[in-house]
Amino acid sequence: MDQSKEKEARTITLTVDSRLEDVFLVGLAVRSICSYTSLSVMEASQMEVCVVEAVNNAIKHSYHLKKGYDVDIIISLYPDQIEFKVCNSGEPMKSTAEARVNFDPKDVKELPEGGLGLYIINSIMDEVSYRCLDGRNVVRMCKWIKPRVSLPE
Amino acid sequence: MIFEDKFIGGILVVKPLEKRIDASSSTNFEGHMVEAIKDGHNRIVLDLAEVDFIDSSGLVAIVSTLKMIGPRGDLVIGGMKETVMSLFRLTRMNRVFQIYPSGEEAVNTLCDGFKA
Repeated sequence: MDQSKEKEARTITLTVDSRLEDVFLVGLAVRSICSYTSLSVMEASQMEVCVVEAVNNAIKHSYHLKKGYDVDIIISLYPDQIEFKVCNSGEPMKSTAEARVNFDPKDVKELPEGGLGLYIINSIMDEVSYRCLDGRNVVRMCKWIKPRVSLPE
Repeated sequence: MIFEDKFIGGILVVKPLEKRIDASSSTNFEGHMVEAIKDGHNRIVLDLAEVDFIDSSGLVAIVSTLKMIGPRGDLVIGGMKETVMSLFRLTRMNRVFQIYPSGEEAVNTLCDGFKA
């Protein structure tokens, strides 16, 4: 992202402990911030699901459900997009395989039970990327929004 | 997690009294459903009227319940809010479950099916 674009951003960083029972607080904050944009209530709820999924993945797969570690959520609001970066310093993600949803709905035994979180994120967000650099794992998710409100100068 | 369970005409109606079924509560939810099935209930209505957020862990817990009941019973859902329904549509689980606008309608449909 170029520097002029960076200047347009309004950014907040949330830090939550690696406890699944605290992740709802992140969800509530995401929903509230999204309500400031042109996203609908439904879209704001979808943003909440995506960020919650990414934080849950960090806690489950990078920190292996161990408490006492930080998960940072950097939320940047641009005039035309909202960006979420979910960062942790645990184990890098081993698999980015998402669930396949072309299942036979009558074949109950074969219904997917894994990878649904990544499928949800990839389906809802306009851009998704994952990188691991210097021991820092970052999932970046971006949703394009219609410019509606001008950010404070 | 708190539940309101009712027994209506041979059908168990399970209503979670929480706003969220997520990674922190899905184990509790699934445990409650497993207990109900072990107690012999295999015609169950899940009333989600109070729930406004479900993540993939919650969804998987509901799918696991359906798998556990298997072909010998029914798991029918009622009262789903639009935010929750959108996740079912996105993951195509709306094709798997019988979904009704309210818990009452779900119960009535199961009762009618039982009589027929």
